[in-house]
Amino acid sequence: MILMLQYGFMQNALFVSVFISILCPCIGIFLVLRRYSMIGDTLSHASLAGITIGLMTNQNPILGAFIFTSICGALIEFLRSYFRKYTDLILTIVLSLSVGTAITIISSGKLKANADSFMFGSILTVTKFDMVMVLILSLISVVTLILLYHQMIYIAYDEETAKIAGVKVKLINYIFSILVAAAISVSVRIVGVLVLSSMIALPVATALQLGKGFKLTLIFSIFFSVIDILLGLFLSYYLNVAPGGFTALISVAVLILVLFGKKLSSSLRALQS
Amino acid sequence: MIKAENLYFSYTGAPPHVLNGINLEIGEGEYISVVGENGCGKSTLMRLLLKFLKPTKGIIINQAGRIGYVPQKNDFSNSNFPITVHEVLNSYRRLLKLKDKGVIAKSLEQVGMSDFAGALMGNLSGGQSQKILIARALMGNPGLLILDEPSTGVDIKSQKDIYGFLKKINKESGITIVSVEHNLDAAISNSTLIYHMTNGQGHLCTPIQYANEYLNRKG
Repeated sequence: MILMLQYGFMQNALFVSVFISILCPCIGIFLVLRRYSMIGDTLSHASLAGITIGLMTNQNPILGAFIFTSICGALIEFLRSYFRKYTDLILTIVLSLSVGTAITIISSGKLKANADSFMFGSILTVTKFDMVMVLILSLISVVTLILLYHQMIYIAYDEETAKIAGVKVKLINYIFSILVAAAISVSVRIVGVLVLSSMIALPVATALQLGKGFKLTLIFSIFFSVIDILLGLFLSYYLNVAPGGFTALISVAVLILVLFGKKLSSSLRALQS
Repeated sequence: MIKAENLYFSYTGAPPHVLNGINLEIGEGEYISVVGENGCGKSTLMRLLLKFLKPTKGIIINQAGRIGYVPQKNDFSNSNFPITVHEVLNSYRRLLKLKDKGVIAKSLEQVGMSDFAGALMGNLSGGQSQKILIARALMGNPGLLILDEPSTGVDIKSQKDIYGFLKKINKESGITIVSVEHNLDAAISNSTLIYHMTNGQGHLCTPIQYANEYLNRKG
C-alpha cells in the first residue's frame, strides 16, 4: 500500500477519494430516505453532459459538470410542482436532456479531449485544479449540511411538520439539489458516471440494515463508504481495473456481508431464546 | 381567536367547491372536534387552518400564534425511517429555535414516555408513537393544537390515555384544540364543541346536541 502511494497520481486519487467517501453518504442518506435514490443516477448522467460541455469549450470539466448538474438539479425541483403525481417522469425528462446533450457533443467530434475516463472513472487524471475544486465544493457542502442538518432531517421525515415549524422547504430543496450536484461533480472523476449513484446509495443502504437512529446511520454510512472507496481504489490499482466499477462491486459485497451477518445474528438469537 | 369567514375552497380553483361558505369562530380554550362523513371537507378545512392550502374565496384569521400539529398516522407511516424518539424531538426543538434542551425530557414526561427517548420511532406501537407526536406538537407552548384523527391505528387503552391527556391540557393550560375526528364517542365525550360538517358546510353544536342529532338520525 505504501509502495503505491509513492506515486503523485495515487496521492491525488487518495486525497479526492477521502473527500468523496465522506461527502457522498452525507448527501445520499437524504436522497435514499426521501426515496429519491434515482436522482443520483439522473444527475450523474447530467454531469456527463457538463463534462462534455467543459471539454468542448476548453474549460475545466469538473466545473462544467458542477454547473450543468446544478442546473439539472434545480430543474428537477422546478418540474416537481408541474408533475406532482409523476415524479419518476421528471427524472426521465432530465435524463433525456442530459444524455441527449452528451451524446450529441461526443458524436460531433468537437471534443478537445477524451470523455471516456469520466464514464468509467480514472485515478490517473486527477489534476491539482480538480483537487482544489474537490476541496472547496466538499467543504461548502459539509458546512451547509451541518447548518441545515435539522431542517433536512425534518423535510425527509415529516415535511408537513417542517413547514409548520417554519422551515423554508422549497428553498432548502433547491440548496440541496446544488449540494447533490457538487457531490456528483467531485466524485465523477474517480468513480465515473456509470456507477456514481452506487456511491450515493449503497453505503446508506448498508448502514440502514443496522437499524439505528439517524445520526448513527449517517456515521455508519460514512464508515461503509470509506471502506468501499479506499478498498476499491487500492484493489483496482493492483488488479489494473477502473476504480469506479470495482468500488461499486465492493459496496455490493459489503452490503451482502452485512445482510448475511444480520441474518446470522438473528438466527443465533432465535436459537438462544 | 380563529375565525373563518365565508370560506370557499376548490382544488381546481373553480366550482364545485369542497368547502362551500364556511363561517366558523373558535374561541380561546375551546376543544373542538370536527366531524362528518368522508369527503365532507373536514380534512380540507384542517389543511386551510394549517396554511397548507390557500382559500379560493374568504378569509381565515388566526390569532392563536404558534400551531402544534399531530398528523394522521396513516399519512405518516414512515416507519422505516431511521430516527429515535430523542432525535424527533431534538430536531423539532432546533427548528423552533428553543434553547432549553430540558424541553425534550419534559415533553416525554408529560405523555408518560420518559423511558422511550432512545427507542426507534419505527419500533413503537401506534399509541406510543401518537403520544410522542403529541408531545412534539406541544413543544414551544403552541396556542393551538390541531390533530388529524388522533385515534387512528391506536389501541383502546392508549386512546383512553390520549383523550384523557388532551382533555387535561385543554382544561389546565387553556390550549385551544381542533381535532378532526372519525371517533364519534371520543368527540362527544371529550370536546367542548363539535363542528358537524356535511357537503362542505358545517354548524357548531354542543356534544349533547350532536349526540341527540346523531341518535335521531340513526333511529
